[in-house]
Amino acid sequence: MSKRYDVIVIGGGHNGLVTAAYLARAGKSVLVLEKRPRVGGAAVTEEIFPGFKFSMFSYVVSLLRPEIIRDLNLPRHGLHILPLESTVTPMENGDYLAGWADHDETRRELYRHSPRDAEAYDEYGRLMHFMAQAVKPILSMVPPDPTSFAPGDLAALLKLGRHFRGLGAERLHALVKLMTMSSADFLDEWFETDVLKATKSASGIIGTFLGPRSPGTAYVLLHHYMGELDGVFRAWGFAKGGTGAVSEAIASAARGFGAEVRCDTGVSKVLVKGGNAAGVVLENGDELAAGTVVSSLDPRRSFLQLLDPSHLPDEFLSDIRRFKFRGSSGKVNIALDSLPVFTCMPDGGPGGRLHRGAVSISPSLEYVERAYDEAKYGEFSRRPYMDIVFPSMIDPGMAPPGKHVMSIFVQYAPYHLNGGWTDAKREAFGDAVVNTVESFAPGFKSKILHRQVITPLDIERITGLSEGNIFAGELALHQLFFLRPAPGWAKFATPVHGYYQAGPARTRAAESWARRGGSRRCAS
Amino acid sequence: MSDSRYDAIVIGAGANGLAGAHYLARAGKRVLVVEQHEAIDQSADIGWVPPRVLRELGVNTVNIEAPDPWLTVPLAAGGTLELSRDVAKSAEAIRRISPADAAKWPEFSARMHTLASVLERLYLAPPPDIETRNVRELARIGALGLYVRRLGKQAVIDLARILPMSIAELLDDWFESDALKGALGALGIWHLKQGPRGGGTAFNFLHHHVGSPAGVFRPARSNVTQALQALQGVEVRRGQRGTVLAKNGRATGVVLDRSGETILAPLVVSSADPRSTLEPIAIELDPEFAWAVGNIKARGVVARGTLMLDRAPGYATLCIAPSLDYLEHAYDDAKYGRDSAAPYVEVQRTGARVEVHVQYIGTSGHPDLPARVAQALDVRSDQLQLQAAEQSLYHGELTLDQILFMRPVPGWSRYRTPIEGLYLCGSGTHPGGGIPGAAGRNAAREIV
Amino acid sequence: MSLRTTPFHPRTGPLSEGQAWRRWAGYVVASSYELSHEREYHAIRNSAALFDVSPLYKYLITGKDAARLLDHVVTRNVGKAKVGQVLYTPWCDNEGKQIDDGTVSVLNEQTYRMTSADPTLRWLHLNSSGLSVTIEDVSEKTAAVSLQGPSAREILQLAAQQDLSALKYFRLTPAKIRGIPVTISRTGYTGDLGYEVWVDAAQAVPLWDAIVETGTPYGITPAGMLALDVARIEAGLLLIEVDYFSSRHALIESQKSSPYELGLGWTVATDKARYNGQAALEAERLRGSAWQFTGLTVDWDSLELLYAAVGLPPRLPSQAWRTSVPVYAKGRGGRQVGYATSGGWSPLLKQYLALAHLESQFAKPGTELLMEITVEHHRKAADARVTPLPFFNPERKRA
Repeated sequence: MSKRYDVIVIGGGHNGLVTAAYLARAGKSVLVLEKRPRVGGAAVTEEIFPGFKFSMFSYVVSLLRPEIIRDLNLPRHGLHILPLESTVTPMENGDYLAGWADHDETRRELYRHSPRDAEAYDEYGRLMHFMAQAVKPILSMVPPDPTSFAPGDLAALLKLGRHFRGLGAERLHALVKLMTMSSADFLDEWFETDVLKATKSASGIIGTFLGPRSPGTAYVLLHHYMGELDGVFRAWGFAKGGTGAVSEAIASAARGFGAEVRCDTGVSKVLVKGGNAAGVVLENGDELAAGTVVSSLDPRRSFLQLLDPSHLPDEFLSDIRRFKFRGSSGKVNIALDSLPVFTCMPDGGPGGRLHRGAVSISPSLEYVERAYDEAKYGEFSRRPYMDIVFPSMIDPGMAPPGKHVMSIFVQYAPYHLNGGWTDAKREAFGDAVVNTVESFAPGFKSKILHRQVITPLDIERITGLSEGNIFAGELALHQLFFLRPAPGWAKFATPVHGYYQAGPARTRAAESWARRGGSRRCAS
Repeated sequence: MSDSRYDAIVIGAGANGLAGAHYLARAGKRVLVVEQHEAIDQSADIGWVPPRVLRELGVNTVNIEAPDPWLTVPLAAGGTLELSRDVAKSAEAIRRISPADAAKWPEFSARMHTLASVLERLYLAPPPDIETRNVRELARIGALGLYVRRLGKQAVIDLARILPMSIAELLDDWFESDALKGALGALGIWHLKQGPRGGGTAFNFLHHHVGSPAGVFRPARSNVTQALQALQGVEVRRGQRGTVLAKNGRATGVVLDRSGETILAPLVVSSADPRSTLEPIAIELDPEFAWAVGNIKARGVVARGTLMLDRAPGYATLCIAPSLDYLEHAYDDAKYGRDSAAPYVEVQRTGARVEVHVQYIGTSGHPDLPARVAQALDVRSDQLQLQAAEQSLYHGELTLDQILFMRPVPGWSRYRTPIEGLYLCGSGTHPGGGIPGAAGRNAAREIV
Repeated sequence: MSLRTTPFHPRTGPLSEGQAWRRWAGYVVASSYELSHEREYHAIRNSAALFDVSPLYKYLITGKDAARLLDHVVTRNVGKAKVGQVLYTPWCDNEGKQIDDGTVSVLNEQTYRMTSADPTLRWLHLNSSGLSVTIEDVSEKTAAVSLQGPSAREILQLAAQQDLSALKYFRLTPAKIRGIPVTISRTGYTGDLGYEVWVDAAQAVPLWDAIVETGTPYGITPAGMLALDVARIEAGLLLIEVDYFSSRHALIESQKSSPYELGLGWTVATDKARYNGQAALEAERLRGSAWQFTGLTVDWDSLELLYAAVGLPPRLPSQAWRTSVPVYAKGRGGRQVGYATSGGWSPLLKQYLALAHLESQFAKPGTELLMEITVEHHRKAADARVTPLPFFNPERKRA
């Protein structure tokens, strides 16, 4: 019988590594098990083509909370985040809309399109900034269960209620609007420039199975103002070395606190004895014992794959089965011989700034909405919305000198494609992406040295994220907060004693559980 | 000409306007109702009329229809599906197209009815004021919370889950038959510029289910407006459109458009839509409020009209919505400003009239619409008389951001406006369209 | 892509000896042209200083309801103003908190020009529902210079070949300078005799040349923002984002100010129809304000003592500062009763001046308080006396 650990963490993605680091820091002996050869899950950097490094799936950093960076001292473990300063949206008529880092420049750019929108943008930004500040504390709360009579839940509910009332009327109303409206409708109240609304809305539909006119997408507009870099809201950044470097830094921090991280070790089942978690069974048949098991996999895997259904209450099981995942995003990673030349800004802008920021293919609301229409009926978008970055422009180490890597995040590519994702369909999807870029940057195709096309099916196969959903479960109002992943189970604990689920909002809960002694009786 | 014979002027002689007017009259006020249309509207009132309103106003001449079956759905394979007021009977009918769906029908009906009853409680009073410090209001909110909790854990979860959901997702969770889902889904997109996959359509579905018995998913039809018209107690002037007059933050009266006459009164209650009521006096409003009023979403997607048939049809309500995807495609067209190539059509027989409801209409000119509707119904275009309503007939779409304390403008949901003495009481206020008379009653009770 | 330059830049650019530029509303303007701003400042009080004030936001409001729109927005009574009059006015939000301040010039019966520090186009539009009015953003089309100092009138009269002695304080007149049509308003930001000249951007350079040529024998001196800052403090004129925050930018309630709290109660008309913030302002007027904006004169002897204690002569800030400095009540355990937001040494008055926000009960002229001064890394406090504004108010300003 091998060594007994206090905690075994299943999955070496961000959530698992962060949880492991905090638990180890609190004095627990922790083992992280990752089935792939490296940690990171969907945040990995791989050399897909010799000399060219790609952030294979996730490609920007922002929502990694600063407390985590500080608590785990990630910079000392190699984390270096470089700012992503601008977004340029090429328009179908050859013009463009740019958002620059400097406020005055952005204002002038908007003014060029609409004097009124230039001013509205400042007002809008202020409101969103307020809202982001107001909402952030809620996000790091473990959502209280309104169906429970437990004193802890009632107290938490009251606290939440007081927080909402403390927002004041204006902010409360804005919050309701943000949570219920479509991003198109919300932005229609402020702006008249279509390409501006399209670009902002597009960031609202990333990772969702919704379009800019779908209610509920306005909320994600807020996320843009919640990203925090160096105390400045709403900046996104690159990690030097790609997002894999972020994972490696967290893993290094976890190891620094004494956690053990094992790769190439897949888990097939969680051991349950007498109704309590007792360890795990590996894919090779070995058993490892632990008093506590934490799964950082998505809810479908955590509950339907790793556990025998007999260990879970019926209602919980059907709720998990009903929890929606529908992945809708794809990724195309490209090794380039040279940078593509965009018709709208052939010189690449002063100092080549076009390629140092993001290029958003979202020329109009109709364009993005039509891309969504195709996905609704089970097809990938022929002219998709794309968020393009050139990591090698910010971090030259990602490609050989003079050459470049191009990361294209694509909406929409439905997991449940009509007829399924075959190799031919994957290539056709890649072609649609490449052809669309070509239409905005003629000559692009001739610069491609290598392309890697990743469909939701590929994401699922490689990272384990069910249906390739990058948020480990659809972000839709009816499965958020206390309903996620099942009503009443938006917490660290699960219906099985000793078995816990890791997640962004649960880190604090995990840590306090560990500091309180981490016994089963403290499950909450 | 000035004239202060009146204590209150009510704009609009629809159900809400008349109900509000009569409540005010009963409180001793001398009320004048001003109505822009000369002729009395013969079309049926669609929606549940709260019995309380009828009782309190002493209306006993109203005719409320309770058709059985309440919906007839043509099936692709031939024949029809008829849904009855008796839940078991409907389940039997559904069993022929899907035994699995038939088995779920009773529980679905019961659960939806529970949720609708929560809304019903909310609708007979002004919306909860969650920002208040007023003890009575807080107690009322507390009581509401307790009521919901006592309905059981399932109801609370349902409420939180279902209200923001799309009707498509809700129905996909329960049923498999396209015909059944299409027919039910239609109620979710009723008068909304959204498709069945849009969030908030489940709420809209429940809203229109309020007041109906379990298992009946179409709003009642009645002649409540005509019945209210027959009541004595208020003066009604027809054929004149009234515009609000205000000065220095106070309402002073109304000016009539055709005669140019000014009628003074300290209280003006408008059942017209909030935008057209407030825009003429925008200079009296603070700009943020005026902006919020301008932002009210009231996009019309419905064409209504009549159908001339040689013989009375055998059904009470016929629904052409063969599947959720059919509805979604119809909505796609509207997104881009066009009439639906294959519209959702519903035909309702009320007495001798046969009325038609069509969704979705686009934003400009509707040349092909009668032909498309005729084709869907298998009749001739000349049998149809359609009128497209460019503005939502509910004065403000029933989307999640335009209900309760957000309706008609966030923070102004208790029928008041920033103008002293000016109140709103139409379907643009809480509880919204499709519940004739409720807003009128709530507003009047706020006033007196 | 970078900051834009004003229409006068072909002339002002080469004048910069030390490349001391700064941003103003997305434009590049000079902090000072010479290596130090001192001579530029003295020109304001001694001869004539010439400032490029083009970055102001300017709006042309025309139409039947032009006055109605402005009266809806600002606190002063625009309807009563005469053609040729210029009104200095703040404007407020619905709660009576100040958004910005600027001027409204009555160019004609139905033509007004409004200036502001922050962009105001959207606000004007939001306020114009139901009004018959046209709002045009002429910020880029209109250039402007400010000529301030005892010789200002003489220079302009010569340049315009027009008698300006009848042009009263805060009035304007059309004129022609070397054939270039301009508007001359007797306005400024220095509290001295001075004029602002408004011209079409295309004619900016010839206008500059005309004025400079005419003014050279009189000692005309192009001057930058550093010099202006000292003069405006002497004149007791507040600056947005320094002495107060726009209610639009405020993150918390306490960052907002009403005109009454800023010493601008005189601009709040009590004889107007409904305008933004009216009810709240009236309520404040009746109950009194919690804060006052007033001047502080730092006592020289007290200052000297603080420096003498560490063996140094007093270090005087030659450039005005814009940081926030606590002000305390005198006496044992004196608590903080306010804060100074602008301050500096006045070379003319030979005094250390500051503009401060004080709790009303401590704001009476003559009140003795303490203002924080950092001496050799230590926080000290010097005696300061409440002084009514403006500190400097020469007769020639209005004569």
